[in-house]
Amino acid sequence: MAFNPDREDYDRMVVRFMEDLRDRNVDDLDIEQEVASFGRRYAQERDSLPQTDVERAFHLVATATSIIDYELPFADDDTADQLVKQASNLLDEALALDPNCFDARRMKAAATAPTFEAHYVLLKQACDATCDACLAEAKTAVKEMGGEIGNLVARIALRPAVRLLATLASKAVICGHNREAIKWYKRALELDPLDEGDIRFTAAIAYSKLEDEEGLEQLARDSRALGVGRPHDEDDAWVLISRMAIAYKQRDLTAARTVLKHIIKVYPNAALTLIAMHELPDGVFARLYVEPFSEDELIMAVSECTVLFQEGVDREGHGSLGAWAIRCARELDPSAADFYTRGSGRRND
Amino acid sequence: MDAHEELVLRLAEKRSKKLGLSKNGYAELVLAVRKDPEKFVDDEHEEAFLCVAKALDRYEESQRGDEMLGDDEFMAERARRLAKLASDCTAALAKDPTCEDARLLLEIAKDDEPDALLDRLINLGHDIEREGVGYASEGRPEAIDAWDDVFSRPYLRVQDAIARTCLETARYGLACSTGQRLLAISASDVLGARHTCALALARLEDEAGFDKLDAMHGRHGDSWSHLARVILLFKLDRMSAARRALKGFDSLCEGGMYALLRPVLVEPYAPDRPQCSPYSFKEAVLAVHEADPIVVDTPDLPAWAEAQPGMLESAQAFAQKSGFDW
Repeated sequence: MAFNPDREDYDRMVVRFMEDLRDRNVDDLDIEQEVASFGRRYAQERDSLPQTDVERAFHLVATATSIIDYELPFADDDTADQLVKQASNLLDEALALDPNCFDARRMKAAATAPTFEAHYVLLKQACDATCDACLAEAKTAVKEMGGEIGNLVARIALRPAVRLLATLASKAVICGHNREAIKWYKRALELDPLDEGDIRFTAAIAYSKLEDEEGLEQLARDSRALGVGRPHDEDDAWVLISRMAIAYKQRDLTAARTVLKHIIKVYPNAALTLIAMHELPDGVFARLYVEPFSEDELIMAVSECTVLFQEGVDREGHGSLGAWAIRCARELDPSAADFYTRGSGRRND
Repeated sequence: MDAHEELVLRLAEKRSKKLGLSKNGYAELVLAVRKDPEKFVDDEHEEAFLCVAKALDRYEESQRGDEMLGDDEFMAERARRLAKLASDCTAALAKDPTCEDARLLLEIAKDDEPDALLDRLINLGHDIEREGVGYASEGRPEAIDAWDDVFSRPYLRVQDAIARTCLETARYGLACSTGQRLLAISASDVLGARHTCALALARLEDEAGFDKLDAMHGRHGDSWSHLARVILLFKLDRMSAARRALKGFDSLCEGGMYALLRPVLVEPYAPDRPQCSPYSFKEAVLAVHEADPIVVDTPDLPAWAEAQPGMLESAQAFAQKSGFDW
């Protein structure tokens, strides 16, 4: 799963709550009552729950995320400015509460960096310190708390570093540093061996950009044991598109078409998604949370794979692979092609 | 492509074979043919080749004065020029349907999507192989540079066009393997397959491959290899080394920074890369043009290059010296 900030906010509050119960030596009967009331208090009286500035800051980050990543892409120009301002204020406030709120710092940098490359450099500069601090916090949690709760706290503590590495990998691909992207992915695995952050999706694109078929297929094999909360009996859209791109680059159009057909089989409304080929803004907190193997997941994968689709000269501006994939999807699903043409009032072939 | 000189060599080669001339005799014959090639044209193959040579003269001549035209006028003139090239090639093919250069130029003159062009070029390459002309003929000694056999040159040009079109359509592995195969059969690399390989290897971030290619050519360097090195090191995120490579590109390639920061439209190569002096501005323009799909894929490279000390000034100084707008 991609990182869900609301879920993480909840987990952080649960952990603090449990710590508080432990510190107060609450007896068993009271614990039951308090635990039973947690959900209601979280939803309705958050301030009545135990929390430090760290939790308060993360809550602001979660609120800012829902504005930037989930509201802003659908806002009109007038509202957009307001939303940006609002989110920026929330992040400032988060940093005032917790100067080590790495997520807030990273999200602020995304808004201020003038170019992709400048953003990438800023992230790189922050990388070691963020990873070291998160790792130290995780180690302390395991040592002091132990058990399941210690592991949960450690995982939560590492997430800001994992998210930073995920952003680094993604920006590396956008900037054309594909080997670097794979390095960031491997570094992230050291902190997040199950790849909770799904950074392997970005690595798949990087292997494809490098036309490294062996690397991509090894990644696809590894992926079957990675990721949290997804079925592993199918390759994900990122691996599939990357595989299609390599076949296309090798001029094995039969193989490329077979992969495209498979995408259409696995993902709902896939032909329409491929024909429309929308480019969406990347999530600033993390990759947007969507259901695995849903239509939305393919829309997001296609958008991230713009660097594969749009490469090479094509006069329509779709790139070599993009133009071919649109053509192919139209042939394979003429009704989707019709629907797109009628819906958008234009043709893209 | 120096079609006229190639025609002389083709005619001399054929006549010499017929007469069984010695080396000295052949040299004399070349001089005689060069004086009046048309007199020696005595079969349909060379008649077609002569047509191609004349078509290329007309094509080149028609490009003079382009800079005086407005955008619409230019596009109309360009379409006319390519249509004329196509009809000239069709006329050549009426004389000799196997004329490889006419077939190659005809494909280029269609001026459509590079992807479609690539398909047709690859088919043309296969057709020539099946026809067994020149390099593709059986019994040719491996050790000979294919370029030395004048009848192999059209096939080499087709392969070179395939490699460049692979690069245009973002098929870097294929561009590189096609280029490497050309280098293996023609080490003199008159057509410059190494340039395509250098750019493809940079895009694939293959430093070992790039270094091997560079060493293979005595590390002599040219606009392509210098630009490719900048791209490679930038992509590998080795910024100090990339900066030094950029300085090298700027100081060795005349107007290189200007070419990089102000890329211009370059006409399709007809049929091969235009001749230019080493490290000249024209060479830099061609290198930047060929690298364009790769530079676009590394979107902040031009802005990074411009921000390096002295680079913007160097580009501006070149523009001023050359009377170009900035």
